[in-house]
Amino acid sequence: MSFILRRISTTKTGKQIVRDQPLPGDAITLGREGSNVIHIADLAVNPHHATITSADGRHVRVQASEGLGFDFNGRTVDAADIDSAAGAELRFGGHRLTIAREDEKIILLVERIDELSQSSKDVDEAKAFSLAGVMPGKRMGAWVFGVLVLLAFLIGPIWAWSSFRNVDERPQGYHADQAWLSGPLSSAHKSLKNDCQSCHVEPFVAVTDKACVGCHTGEHKAMSMAHANAPTAMLLAARHPPGVGERILAGFAKTFNKPQGRCVGCHTEHEGAGPMPATPQKFCADCHDGMSARLIDAGFKPTVADAADFGTIHPEFRPLVRPSPGAKPMRAMPGKGALVDYDGLKFPHDLHLQATGGVARMAASFRGRYDFGNKLECENCHRVESDGVRVKPVEMERDCAMCHSLAFETVGGVTRTLRHGEPDQVVADLMAYYRSTPPTRPLQLGGMERRRPGNYAEGQVYNIYFREVAVRPNRAEDAVRAVFSKGGACYDCHTIFAPQAGTGWRVMAVDQTPRFLSKGWFDHDAHKETDCADCHTAARGSKASTDLLIPGLRQCRDCHVGEGGARLVKVETATESPCAMCHEYHSDGGKPWMPARQRKVNSAAITNKPLRATYGVSMVTGSAERGLYDVTWRTPALHGARRGG
Amino acid sequence: MASLFQRRRSKATQTERVRERRHEGFLRYANFRWAKISGGLCLLIIVSYALIDVTPRPNGGSWYGYTLGTIGAGLILWLTALGYRKRKMTSDHWSLKAWTSAHVYLGLSLIVIGTWHTGFQLGWNVHTLAWVLMMLVILSGLYGVVVYSTLPAALSNNRDEMTQMQMLEAIRAFDRQLHAAAQPLTPQDTAPVLAALDEDPFAGGIMARLSGRYPDCATAAALRALGASRSSDAGAREKVVGLLSQKEVALARLRQHLRIRALLEIWLYVHVPLTFALIAALSAHIVSVFFYW
Repeated sequence: MSFILRRISTTKTGKQIVRDQPLPGDAITLGREGSNVIHIADLAVNPHHATITSADGRHVRVQASEGLGFDFNGRTVDAADIDSAAGAELRFGGHRLTIAREDEKIILLVERIDELSQSSKDVDEAKAFSLAGVMPGKRMGAWVFGVLVLLAFLIGPIWAWSSFRNVDERPQGYHADQAWLSGPLSSAHKSLKNDCQSCHVEPFVAVTDKACVGCHTGEHKAMSMAHANAPTAMLLAARHPPGVGERILAGFAKTFNKPQGRCVGCHTEHEGAGPMPATPQKFCADCHDGMSARLIDAGFKPTVADAADFGTIHPEFRPLVRPSPGAKPMRAMPGKGALVDYDGLKFPHDLHLQATGGVARMAASFRGRYDFGNKLECENCHRVESDGVRVKPVEMERDCAMCHSLAFETVGGVTRTLRHGEPDQVVADLMAYYRSTPPTRPLQLGGMERRRPGNYAEGQVYNIYFREVAVRPNRAEDAVRAVFSKGGACYDCHTIFAPQAGTGWRVMAVDQTPRFLSKGWFDHDAHKETDCADCHTAARGSKASTDLLIPGLRQCRDCHVGEGGARLVKVETATESPCAMCHEYHSDGGKPWMPARQRKVNSAAITNKPLRATYGVSMVTGSAERGLYDVTWRTPALHGARRGG
Repeated sequence: MASLFQRRRSKATQTERVRERRHEGFLRYANFRWAKISGGLCLLIIVSYALIDVTPRPNGGSWYGYTLGTIGAGLILWLTALGYRKRKMTSDHWSLKAWTSAHVYLGLSLIVIGTWHTGFQLGWNVHTLAWVLMMLVILSGLYGVVVYSTLPAALSNNRDEMTQMQMLEAIRAFDRQLHAAAQPLTPQDTAPVLAALDEDPFAGGIMARLSGRYPDCATAAALRALGASRSSDAGAREKVVGLLSQKEVALARLRQHLRIRALLEIWLYVHVPLTFALIAALSAHIVSVFFYW
């Protein structure tokens, strides 16, 4: 029985040299120490690791000696019995011990199979020294990131769009196409945040007006009357020659099918939360700046003057006036003489607005009774409609009769007055007066003579007219003639036509224009804090009612400058005014729309009578109007709520 | 005619030679030609943005926004093409150095082009995602430029005229010596030495690579263990301790080398994948604009 230790060494050329060495003794020791029969220079092997014995020269027993076992058939064991004819492989540290049988001898083959150390292993230099060994590949990352982004932000949104194509309202929750939202929707459209499809109906088709009017039914015409009725060629000719930028934009619009002139051209969305911004001046000025010259070049007759910026380029106002008595109202042509407006009345504003003098004294004496101050103010007679734009016509009974009484008789404490506005009735009443009872007291209706202190007001016979006492008519015809003639009650304010064949006394019709500036929307409410006379500057000096007292462009420009702050005159507190502040595009009869944050707060000082709406009154009994004879509340002189609250 | 071209070419060759002599890198290429071009472009954009009154407010949908967006998108695709260009050997006058110089400076100008394209309107949407990805790509590229101009010197200093395979070979040599020298040690002492031999010099994740800190280093642990041990023959142990400390120095050099290389390379792992994420986001951004036109 003998063990043979076989060593195999490999030459550089790959040739193997096998050397066999018979081992002495029956028990072969194996270990790291040099005294062992089989010496394995392996740190993973114990100095005396195992003993190999064979009782019959065929079966081999391997016994570990120092507690550290060895690997046999994949398991770590301390002892193993092996039939050398069948062969076996044992592993000690980094070495392999192969047991075989050849020619009745037991062959022990020892080989190093592991590298000496980890660093001795072969490395791929390019990979090991770079980050490629420890990072996932760049190409991998590129694919993963790219695909994830495409899935989340392209496929997902398109999927969301296609699954809710024809749905009015999507269910709550996140929809992938919300990732496409380019900016917050305006407050009016906030609820549509989830419902992209409500405006973006078809893919790759720009938002159409149809999507707008789907909800905005009948609110306004798509275009103003002036623009809608104009021929297309004229509209095109009006546009200013495009600059570089507009040519680029037009190129984009044309290439990618984005038609111009849609609602969204002016009413832009996704521009930030809050109210939709008012249409900027540029949308008007693009055409209206220097338009008339372009229109003339193109063979059209311009009907409006050029306007580009309220502060610098804006035509003078053309208020609606009646240039001669009884004429139809027409728009004035400024610069051609003084502006006159025949409304049919005789009314010297200067006399009525004087701080001293008879009118002021009379007004002062009515203090506490009517809302007069020490003198007459504009708003004692003039009232603005609730829209703030139009002015109510001056009414004799309400606005004049406080002073200009038409009373002619008192019967048992009841005053009889002549019927205003009905000349035939006046004649009839006077006839009847003279016929029924002879005058016990003189008829006292007449001209504007100085009055006697103490005798005034409509409750009594109007004693102001002393001349009437002297020349009192004693016949009905005389009395009628006196009323309608110079010095008479009617004649003072009205133009009278004497009786002709077939007609009686006639009074010229009175036409009071409620709104002089028909193209612009001047809002009196927004100017509450300004005195009337600050703008209507000519009123105090006006001697005749034909004087047109509508303020001109100059007065507006005292405060209002262009959208960008452009101005020609010195302005202390500038109000930037785009076109849309006064002009309304859609011609739907309303005031121009303005975002809430730009609107003047309709606040009143606490001394003012609060608006009825603030109480939530459900029913009002009695006269809602400020009646002529029931004055319960007075405007404080300091404040500008001058229309009687 | 031919002679004219001849002369021109010889002049170009001469310029190229001067550049070679000065060791002109991609940053200084052609006397900062692309830096000037891209700086001028940025200035032009900033000034014109301030001068041009875009209604109703500046955003990507105005004519100016479209222009910047188109330039930006085209530029992004061209910049990405560097990855293709650098793999393609040409002898054209568009040298890779010129291309890289333009890539760097035009890429930086994209900060202005892209940001001014947004009109400074940012939000939680795909449009801003594209902008953020673009900025990340640019910033990682900027990092790359900075490390490319600073770290190679450190790499060279650390290398000490060795190639990286030589560094590894040194460790291997110490390992072999350690293996031999540790043979007389007791099993108690060989265990830490064995662990040190078993340690992969390239082990450690990305954090270890970038920080250069290996707190579980088996070589250092073996050094500590053998320093404290009293079990083996003192002479043999001392020899092993000496070898271990030599290996530790070699290992430290290799690890420093790996760290600098990691710092030099890490930006590309952001730059390249995010570029493709950016192109995907850009596609989604453009498609979304036209889809919901």
